[in-house]
Amino acid sequence: MLDFMYQSSWGAFTIMLFFHVPFLLVFFYILYRKTAVDPGPSGTDDGRISRAEGLWITLVIVLFVGINVVSIKYMPTVSTAHAASAENIQNIDVTAQSWSYEISERQLEVGRPVRFSVKSADTVHGFGVYHPDGSVVFTMMLIPGMERASLIHTFTEPGKYRVRCLEYCGIAHHAMADELIVSDSQ
Amino acid sequence: MLNAGTAIQKTPLFGSMFRIDTSTGLEEINGWPGLMIMASFVWLAVAGLLGLAMPLSQLLGLQSDLFYTALTAHGAALAFPFIFQLMVGASLHRAGSCLGKPVTGILSASIFWSMNIGAVLLTIAILFGLKISYAVMYPLPVIGVATGQWSMGVVVLGFTGIALVLTSMIVLYPVKVISMLFYGEKREDLLLSARALNDPGMLGMAIAVFVLLVMGTPLMIVAGTVLLGLYGIVPMDAISWATDPAVFQFVFWIFAHNLMEAMAVMVISAMYGTLPLYLADGTRKLYSDRLANLALWILLFTSVTSFFHHFFTMFPALPAALAYHGNVMSWGTGVGASLTIFTVLATIWKHGLRPEPGILAVLMGFMLYILDGVSAIVTSNVAWSFELHGTMWAGGHTMNVLVAMSLMWMGVLYHHYPVITGRKLSRKLGYRFVTLFTVGSVGSSYAFLAAGAAGMPRRFAAWNQEGWMIYGVFILIFGLITAASLLVYAYDLLKSSDEAAA
Repeated sequence: MLDFMYQSSWGAFTIMLFFHVPFLLVFFYILYRKTAVDPGPSGTDDGRISRAEGLWITLVIVLFVGINVVSIKYMPTVSTAHAASAENIQNIDVTAQSWSYEISERQLEVGRPVRFSVKSADTVHGFGVYHPDGSVVFTMMLIPGMERASLIHTFTEPGKYRVRCLEYCGIAHHAMADELIVSDSQ
Repeated sequence: MLNAGTAIQKTPLFGSMFRIDTSTGLEEINGWPGLMIMASFVWLAVAGLLGLAMPLSQLLGLQSDLFYTALTAHGAALAFPFIFQLMVGASLHRAGSCLGKPVTGILSASIFWSMNIGAVLLTIAILFGLKISYAVMYPLPVIGVATGQWSMGVVVLGFTGIALVLTSMIVLYPVKVISMLFYGEKREDLLLSARALNDPGMLGMAIAVFVLLVMGTPLMIVAGTVLLGLYGIVPMDAISWATDPAVFQFVFWIFAHNLMEAMAVMVISAMYGTLPLYLADGTRKLYSDRLANLALWILLFTSVTSFFHHFFTMFPALPAALAYHGNVMSWGTGVGASLTIFTVLATIWKHGLRPEPGILAVLMGFMLYILDGVSAIVTSNVAWSFELHGTMWAGGHTMNVLVAMSLMWMGVLYHHYPVITGRKLSRKLGYRFVTLFTVGSVGSSYAFLAAGAAGMPRRFAAWNQEGWMIYGVFILIFGLITAASLLVYAYDLLKSSDEAAA
């Protein structure tokens, strides 16, 4: 469940709906009630509204803190730090240039951590790696002249992983793509 | 100097919608704001046509060049000369009528000319080949010249336009508001509804203009220096500190992010100012000014450094500590927004509401703003950012926040329009406009976000890859519904003019 929530963009969509749906229900209920059903002032005393205010602020803070604390485990910055000490890391250097990628090795293994060190040689580019099912595994933004963007990722499923530029980089931006082949380990 | 009222009168079609009322003696607060509001709607018409051109060019399989031209021109027209100018016009009108001070003089004229001449130059540059998206994507403008995508001439023209637009937004408008807030004689004949600076409706305006001035100044310095280099006034190698892509990207996003936050603070404060006027029991007070102002201060302090969420995926070029800080601050803006939600709903619950089209438009815009805010904080979590950054999710967020703000300002305009023109808008057409706009924009919002979740890249002229076209179809359908709502709004403006003439 948590893996779906934090490792899938549809999980992010679900979390968004988790906030949207109750908000929409309460918002439209109050609007309908106080414009169409009973537009006059309510008899709710100030003490009750004040208690609701305290409860609301507490609920918001608890939810916000909880969701973000749980997400720490899934942050690529954190998982990269954990994986940095692994002995069998495969190092892949990538250079992006309008409108192609120079990739030092396109054959990768399931279960073996891969350190992607990516830079741009001209303008702002992206390095987005897509799962064979079409979802984004991770994306990196590359600003020319800056330190290489770098993270360690361990592929868990074999297949052809599409690479796409996700930062607009000119008139052939949509054609800037490549491929990584992830195979079962020997 | 140009007379703003005469300029409105002489403008075909749009002039009749915004012709100012000369019988009240309020031309000094109606003239320039009215002209700015009218010009913003001209730009909305341009942005709308270009916006529809994007999905149409995809569905009809036209050249990708057309898509990128429409993308750049649509974003540039929508964000700055439409929404920002509409906000400037409405807020200056509000400032004038609440402080009893005229909106006249060289500064008011300069805000208008600088914005509109700049936007025209930028649009011409785009039509002649400059395809850089509204976010400029520096150093793409110069790389585009080196790779033969466009000429240096259009870069110079486009940057001149951008510099004029930025001057209007970052310098002229804030200076004008500050001068009205803190200097000048109050005139009773112009004072329609007195408000003090600690009123939530005025506080937000003050916060927003200071944010624009402070956060925008570094971009003015860097962009101005680059422009001097492009003109050949200073050698490029002498200004390498300004042409460094990282410098430009950071000063751009510090400004651009805070521009959106400042506009949001401004529009929330406009709602704080407008909502009490429509309460059923005539109380004319928010549930709590204290809570309302606390929300504005929280939004201000948390939003200033939350811009780091634009750079999470550069790790480790953006150190992880700054990413975590950006994560926390971004969700902190959600705390400010949640206090605003409570203030708004508690106010309505306590006092009831007269459901006039203007306040309903403001409230629907607020609802859209909250929906968008949730999508924004989700993608500002470091874990989700690595899956969503650069997808249509991010493009949808930009689109949705602009759409939400435009609906709120169009709602506020229902309140200002009778003062400016002496005419009233139709309630019946107003309800139709609000309903259609809400359905269209909520639908397109979810279509954008679902496209992003499905991995569809933003600013990407190949929607037919990976089955993404279905999202494009939904974006087009809901975009057409939104366009229909705007036609209703325009018809209402025209009809009010005809009725007044009759």
